Amino acid sequence: MKPPNETKTLITFWGTRGSISTPGRTTEKYGGNTPCVTVTHADTSIILDAGTGIRNLGIDLVENSGSGNSPLSLHLFLSHTHWDHIQGLPFFQPAYIRDTQLTIYGSPRKERFLDSVLEDQMDYEYFPIAMSALTAEISIHEISEEIIQVGPVVIDWQEQIYHPGGSVRYGLNINGKRIVYATDVELDKIFKVNPKNEETEALSEEYLSFISNADLLIADGQYTEEEYTIKIGWGHSSIPVVIDTAKQAGVKRLAIFHHDPQHSDSFLDDMWMKNRSGSHSKGHHMELFWAREGMTLSI
Amino acid sequence: MTENEKRKKSKGKEISRGEAGGEENFGNTTTVELSREVFAGSVPAAQRAYFEIVGPHGKGKIVELGTEDIILGRSPECQVRLTPKNVSRNHARVFFRNEEYHIEDLNSTNGVYVNGIKVEKCVLRDNDQIEIGGVKILFNEERTLQKNETSK
Repeated sequence: MKPPNETKTLITFWGTRGSISTPGRTTEKYGGNTPCVTVTHADTSIILDAGTGIRNLGIDLVENSGSGNSPLSLHLFLSHTHWDHIQGLPFFQPAYIRDTQLTIYGSPRKERFLDSVLEDQMDYEYFPIAMSALTAEISIHEISEEIIQVGPVVIDWQEQIYHPGGSVRYGLNINGKRIVYATDVELDKIFKVNPKNEETEALSEEYLSFISNADLLIADGQYTEEEYTIKIGWGHSSIPVVIDTAKQAGVKRLAIFHHDPQHSDSFLDDMWMKNRSGSHSKGHHMELFWAREGMTLSI
Repeated sequence: MTENEKRKKSKGKEISRGEAGGEENFGNTTTVELSREVFAGSVPAAQRAYFEIVGPHGKGKIVELGTEDIILGRSPECQVRLTPKNVSRNHARVFFRNEEYHIEDLNSTNGVYVNGIKVEKCVLRDNDQIEIGGVKILFNEERTLQKNETSK
């Protein structure tokens, strides 16, 4: 047994499905809930996105916070505000607990303020409870600083332009390890254009540098190469491009994420079989896997 | 009586609720009428799950999982004892929560792998392959019809 005093950084997938939730027996292995991932280190909890997966996270947090414990302090970073990344928020139990402190971070470069986007989701026409009825202490923060420090976690971020309306990728640095969460981005538009232009050159460098040597990269790999050809401009990446770029950047573990709603468990298993050899190259072995709901890893 | 006459006659027949169900024979076709109670007698589905030790040590051993926690490890106190030296004394815990089985690494030296991925914790699904200190274990789950106690 290892020494018990080692503090681990834990990454849990609460929702891995892209676009819309997909309950049913054909998706129970990889999961049907839309994106939500937590990164925890000791008492610090970072939540990445508030898709439908955040509902189960909320239940777990409430069950595990006994009456004697201090109030929950949570930090939610949104990649963007498309439905599949915010729809679970009205069902997040800790948001209804008075003492919970919930800080929500998002892109400052939207036409509308982040708080009004989230409030509108809970408009009476769509949902019976208004956002103002959430009794937790909620603060909404459009990121202005380059670096955000939450306890021992240092977070940097970049805008991603190749997604309709844009999105944000986050880098989480803890104890010398780096986790990158980069979902909802069409990397094919950056890396597969021929010939490259000044903009794509700059964006390629920026992306590769951001994910460089990451201990874990959680990346949008919604389409197969064939599917991508009829989904150009939809804002998601094809799997081979994600694998190639991650390998090029020296990523150690790559979690393919934001699974297409049409992809069953057996299809995703087949995709792993077909693509696993692509994760090896001379002198570098990258662990490649498909993110799965209900799985907790450590780095 | 012709087949058509038989069909017409059976149309008006009353089947009382709670009865074990009637049976009519129309030539090659048999219709079986079940009351709701008889039908519901074999619902809900029960969940049964097993570990099958695939090897190399203890190959072929099958352990049925219940709702109590079990510990896998080298210690004689473990419910599933795995003797290879790469297995920690208390290596992993399996627990049943929200009608699902989960496996959790108990801070073991060599880790817990599910389908080749090193995990701290993971919900288990049918046909998952677990590896603990070099021992491969297959998780199998099946849903069976469970007899309702009130049905006869």
